[in-house]
Amino acid sequence: MSIAEAQAAELSLERPSGLWRDAFDRFRRNPAALVGVSLVLIFTIAAIFAPQIAPHPPNQQVGPLSTNPAGPGGGHVMGLDEQGRDLFSRLLYGARLSLLVGIVSVGIGLAIGLVFGALAGYVGGWVDTVVMRVMDLMLSIPSLLVAIGLVTLLGRGMVQIMFAVGVTTVPIFARLLRGSILGQREADYVLAARSVGVPGRRLLLGHILPNSIAPVIVQATLTMATAIIEVAGLSFLGLGPGDPSLPEWGKIMADNANRLESAAHLVLFPGFAIVLTTIGINLIGDGLREAIDPKLKS
Amino acid sequence: MLKFIVRRLIFTIPILFGLSILVFLFVRALPGGPAIALLGERATQESVEQIEEELGLDQPLPVQYMRYLTNVLSGDLGSSVSTRRPVVDELKQRFPATFELALMAMLFAVAAGIPLGYIAAKRYQGILDNVSLVGSLLGISFPVFFLALLLKYVFAVKLGWLPTVGRIDVTRSLEHPTGFYLLDAIIAGDGAAFVDVLQHLILPAIALGTIPLAIVARITRAAVLDVLGEDYVRTARAKGLDPGVVDRRHVLRNAMLPVVTVIGLQTGLLLTGAVLTETVFAYPGLGSWILNAIRFRDYAVIQGGILFFAGMFIFVNLLVDVSYAFLNPRIRYR
Amino acid sequence: MPLLSVRDLEVRFFTRRATIHAVNGISFDLDAGQTLGIVGESGCGKSVSSLAILGILPKAGRVTGGRVMFGDRDLLTLKDSALREIRGRDIGMVFQDPMTSLNPVLKIGRQITEVLFKHLRMDKHDAIREAIALLERVGIPNASDRLDDYPHQFSGGMRQRVMIAMAIACRPQILIADEPTTALDVTIQAQILDLLKGLVEEEGMGLILITHDLGVVAGVCERTHVMYAGRFVEAAPTDLLYHHPRHPYTLGLLRSVPRLDASQKEKLIPIPGAPPDLTVLGAGCSFAPRCPYATDRSREVTPVLEEIDDPSHLVACWNPVSDADASAVAVPVERGRS
Repeated sequence: MSIAEAQAAELSLERPSGLWRDAFDRFRRNPAALVGVSLVLIFTIAAIFAPQIAPHPPNQQVGPLSTNPAGPGGGHVMGLDEQGRDLFSRLLYGARLSLLVGIVSVGIGLAIGLVFGALAGYVGGWVDTVVMRVMDLMLSIPSLLVAIGLVTLLGRGMVQIMFAVGVTTVPIFARLLRGSILGQREADYVLAARSVGVPGRRLLLGHILPNSIAPVIVQATLTMATAIIEVAGLSFLGLGPGDPSLPEWGKIMADNANRLESAAHLVLFPGFAIVLTTIGINLIGDGLREAIDPKLKS
Repeated sequence: MLKFIVRRLIFTIPILFGLSILVFLFVRALPGGPAIALLGERATQESVEQIEEELGLDQPLPVQYMRYLTNVLSGDLGSSVSTRRPVVDELKQRFPATFELALMAMLFAVAAGIPLGYIAAKRYQGILDNVSLVGSLLGISFPVFFLALLLKYVFAVKLGWLPTVGRIDVTRSLEHPTGFYLLDAIIAGDGAAFVDVLQHLILPAIALGTIPLAIVARITRAAVLDVLGEDYVRTARAKGLDPGVVDRRHVLRNAMLPVVTVIGLQTGLLLTGAVLTETVFAYPGLGSWILNAIRFRDYAVIQGGILFFAGMFIFVNLLVDVSYAFLNPRIRYR
Repeated sequence: MPLLSVRDLEVRFFTRRATIHAVNGISFDLDAGQTLGIVGESGCGKSVSSLAILGILPKAGRVTGGRVMFGDRDLLTLKDSALREIRGRDIGMVFQDPMTSLNPVLKIGRQITEVLFKHLRMDKHDAIREAIALLERVGIPNASDRLDDYPHQFSGGMRQRVMIAMAIACRPQILIADEPTTALDVTIQAQILDLLKGLVEEEGMGLILITHDLGVVAGVCERTHVMYAGRFVEAAPTDLLYHHPRHPYTLGLLRSVPRLDASQKEKLIPIPGAPPDLTVLGAGCSFAPRCPYATDRSREVTPVLEEIDDPSHLVACWNPVSDADASAVAVPVERGRS
């Protein structure tokens, strides 16, 4: 490519990546990412301040018991459920659960996955082979099945569920970090640092890890979205948290799937809550990916 | 090429073994012990002891595993606790249903997704491109079961255009030599039945296939964009080839490589999505079968079902790897 | 009448941030059987010119002025469907990097025959025979077996030969070679250049050889144009150019080429300064900021190509290099002269 073309290419894209500052700037200027941040912010605030915002406690009966619960109106923004509870309040408390689930399960997956990935990538050799075979095995079983299996084994508490979903994300992070480290290990700057005597551990912690971290952050964000959907799915299948009073979004939908004709609001509102939260997180993840490496066109 | 397939097959075997070990341990780890698991929770003490001896549960673990393995390899997956029928028989009935559904869903995803992604890439930053991006985003942010519920609500309940549950109208009688209802209808020459089965398939297939569609479209778009900037496309143009030829022979053939891989990966999504979709539409496939088994503690079915499910998944991955090698000569000749 | 006649060609790239003036009014003629070299550093616009002639500029690029007469037609005014008949058939092009310029998933036989099908309407048997003949002509052994091989099964030099075979398949009147040897080993470079020279002589083709490497041009091209910042700054028969350069940039180029037979004490003299910013097209000579010979006029008025010494020698400079300085420069080692 001639310099003219290179200049053209460079100008029509953004400045090359490298510094966090640059990445942050690009993120800030990305309208889709900002929409994502707004959405997530709304849900986070809803979650944190649920007790303050919600007009009623989530499990208090404020209307009549009914097989045909009322839709929006009459002082209830999203209507009532079959036990006379205010749906809006329940959804607000449900936001807490969803966000908690997203963060904790990804946290578990990250923690375990990163350890494996770093081991495999940096130590190499038979450790690498063993770890990667195990990861392959885990990936060879569809994640929902793994989650179902683990929940059946461990029981239906929130903690177990978050653990189960978290475990299904381990191979993704392990693979990612391993690949990143392997790529960095042979990078010119690493070879240069090694040639002037920078010791191994410092190399790993001070140089390789920080540079490998970026794609992991992007993946963590996107995995959070799928984690939320997966937990909702588990609830829908009847494997959600055993406590019937918990207003988990998927569970509300599951309980009312048969009432579509008479009480669609009980399915639509929680459903769209999930969708909007997930869209927000995905937009942030995409924005991060573009901010970190704008040359990717996906 | 053959060498590649053989190598790949050999590679799969340890994974299958690992899978069987996992499932074996899983059933053993379930609360209550495998005897109760296989007999049901109401079993009497005598029958439990009998089964334990029969199954050799007093034997060391590796011996048990060998027994289990031999059973599985000879086609014996035990009997369902709820229906008392051999698991294998139920599999034979349930598998075609899910297969038909998954196939329809995948056809839908690919037939719509690839053209969409391609056009979006060619008209980069045009209206269709932006619409497709939004669509893709929605596609991956929608839980499958919500989409299924929505579709059911709008088209089946409200509009009444399509049936809400099942594979076929219960009042209709049809011979089932293959278990694949569409094929059966063709064999029987029953046009009305064919249409009926199709109608039952449409909504679940769309629900199941929408997420893969979104992903396929996204990947196709990215792949085509990448390829369009490659030097060999410029060479093709410099040779004076027609744009259609350049697109088909040079752009698409290279862009399809990553797309095929992704399509293969989607099969996992399809299988798990099937579990959710079948529940919503009361579709009698593998997914709802395993799910009911879990609800009612039918551990023989759980064990056999998961083994089969995961085994199918591994097999499909193998197929995908092989077709990728077929398309990409560089892998073949290594 | 010349085979190809380019007049005042201008190409711009339009991006969101800025407009890049890649080519700013170049003119040249190419006769049948003539070998023309275009020399310049990366980014001077030489590759872009050839893409513009063929009508395959990247999306952001557009021709904003000039004429390209091929026979009695102006290529710049033709629709793409008409240009497609000319590309690959009357004008062939060889690109720089054979690794990325060949379709990795197509057999090379196919990549050659598709040109034959499209332009010469050959049937399958004839096309295959012709493809084998072409491969043999460019020096690929076991041609008939190699037809079914993929690009990655060839070495770099072999791949470039395949590219050349593709480009000359329809016996074009003009062959444009854009940095054909840059990505290759030095020993292979000489072979490829010899091949090109041989083909040109045999077929009577016109050849435009684009490169940044003075050594490449020396053995192959009768006439050489030196390009800087989208304009020709000097044009002359190659020997004359090398022995009597008159433009300070040409002098600078010649002085900065390392030579095996130079004494150890002779220093390499690089050209000071940085490549020009093509987003601004000001008045005055683009080279002036880096030029030791620059005058006030150089900075204010854009120089025009004018004859100097000889009708075949053109220079665009208000203060050309004196003959004494010019003759003091050593001539770079030629590649391509076997």
